[in-house]
Amino acid sequence: MVSFFRKIPRTIIVLIVLVAFGLVRTPFENRLGEQLIEAKLVVPPPGMTVLDQMGQSALMATLGGLRPLVAGFLSLQGYENFSEKNWDELRQTYLIITALEPLEESHWVNAIWHLGINATANMELDTKLPGFERKRRFHNYAQQAIEFAEKGLEQVPDSVPIRKQLAEVYREKLKDWENAARVYKEMIEFDDAPQYAERFHGYFLAKVPGKEQEAYNYLKGLYDEGEHQHLPTLIFEIRRLEEELKIPYPGRIPDDGPDANFSRPQKPSPPVLPGGIVIP
Amino acid sequence: MNQTPPSVFEPATKTVSPFSLRRVMVIASSSVTQLVRMKTFYFLLAFAAIIVVLMSLNPPTTPAGVLSTIKRISFGTMDVFAWLFAIVSTALLIPKDIEDRTLYTILSKPVRRIEYLIGKLLGVLWVIAISLLVMYAVCALALWSRETLYIAEELEAMNADARYSAENVGAQIALIEQQGLRPELGIAVLGSFLKAAVVASVTIFLSTFASSSLFSIIISVLVFIIGHAHTMATSFWLYQTDNSLFVQLLLKVVKIFIPNFQLYSFSHGIIQGEAVAYSLVWQMTGLTGVYLVVFLFLSLLVFIDKEF
Repeated sequence: MVSFFRKIPRTIIVLIVLVAFGLVRTPFENRLGEQLIEAKLVVPPPGMTVLDQMGQSALMATLGGLRPLVAGFLSLQGYENFSEKNWDELRQTYLIITALEPLEESHWVNAIWHLGINATANMELDTKLPGFERKRRFHNYAQQAIEFAEKGLEQVPDSVPIRKQLAEVYREKLKDWENAARVYKEMIEFDDAPQYAERFHGYFLAKVPGKEQEAYNYLKGLYDEGEHQHLPTLIFEIRRLEEELKIPYPGRIPDDGPDANFSRPQKPSPPVLPGGIVIP
Repeated sequence: MNQTPPSVFEPATKTVSPFSLRRVMVIASSSVTQLVRMKTFYFLLAFAAIIVVLMSLNPPTTPAGVLSTIKRISFGTMDVFAWLFAIVSTALLIPKDIEDRTLYTILSKPVRRIEYLIGKLLGVLWVIAISLLVMYAVCALALWSRETLYIAEELEAMNADARYSAENVGAQIALIEQQGLRPELGIAVLGSFLKAAVVASVTIFLSTFASSSLFSIIISVLVFIIGHAHTMATSFWLYQTDNSLFVQLLLKVVKIFIPNFQLYSFSHGIIQGEAVAYSLVWQMTGLTGVYLVVFLFLSLLVFIDKEF
């Protein structure tokens, strides 16, 4: 028997062992791989459309298993693009970063923040560009931020930070109250949602034409929950809606506490930087 | 009392045990010495330099964001150093022994060839483990110092501002702590070690029949890259070629012959703050053990009859 084995070329035995081992381990590894992806410990491969957009170096990184390292360095490049106000380059950088680490929600949040808040703010202030071009780019960057948010929510569906950042773009930049209200409503469903999300949903719904009654019912419902909800802005909004909807006086809220003069609560005054620059 | 020395012409009566852990350990420790003499630990200086540069960076993001960036880059570098070191050192060891003629001296003694191979692999694994521990200590110190600084700054700033409730402060501190130094990061280091161990076992197998160290290094790096691209290459090629039968077959062959290194990227999830699934970590450790046994057996098949 031993002499028989000795006659077989060693290469063939090596190949047989390799194939047998491969056949045994492949199903086990496939199952383990699925479990690791499910536990979010391993990142699934990037989508085909993203592969087309990736640079050669990032593609090599994906092949070579250097994804977090390259994503880390690219994040630093993203900050450089931000400091140079190179917004188109920044978008490309974040497309690669989010493709490399799609489950890292901070990448999506940063991309939305940079494009939706910083790039749009830059377009509001950049006097070197003609007005129509600034307006066009403003909307482009805001739209790109929304696209990042949508892709991010596909990857991390339960993310509150992504929704928070998206709502800020709708609220602060696009003045799209309906979508801002929708995003805050989505946020309420999650345990880690900030407390203000439920109130903000009502505040922005109240600004949508035709949704006043719905907003009133919602905010009144919050008010009726108890003292802890009797906040100045909530009272202000309910009173405004009561006036607008002509709610009969007996049905109106009795509260006249901190908001007795029926004016919108004032925000704290913004800090003044050297040179008299005021941060809005 | 006079004792006559045994004659050199007398037949040896002492039987050699088929396997001795002591002999393995002697070879392993001599391999460690050999690697230390090759100044392999100098790459730790490069790692320390990267950490120093990282610590001096101050990107315009939240404290949690900065900690996350530091963590991802430093652990990523640690991972690269580990597998690169595993390939280069393993590929150099056997050819160096042949070149120095140490191999002839060792194999002329009652040392089994499997003991020699296990000893060499253990030596490399020891050096990788020590390097990873040192790098982890440096990285942990850097993370801890930044985390402590950020928490102190945030506490000071938020407590001074009446707008923030105790709940707000707690949430902000929790965010920083989530990206800071956590005991789970040790499991991420274990992930890098397991990956490096498999890479070393593949390289030792390649170096048993390779004609030069360069060949072993190049082929090992290629195997590593292909092993990482399994999953992506499968979907990419099938997408490009419309599920061609030939490509499907080719990919199956590649999957059978080359280890799936993509699985060892589980440390990335831990670094990003995901919860550790210990059952999966144990399975990965077990799989690594099987890889080591199989590749050592394959190495022995080639090495056992090799004439020097």
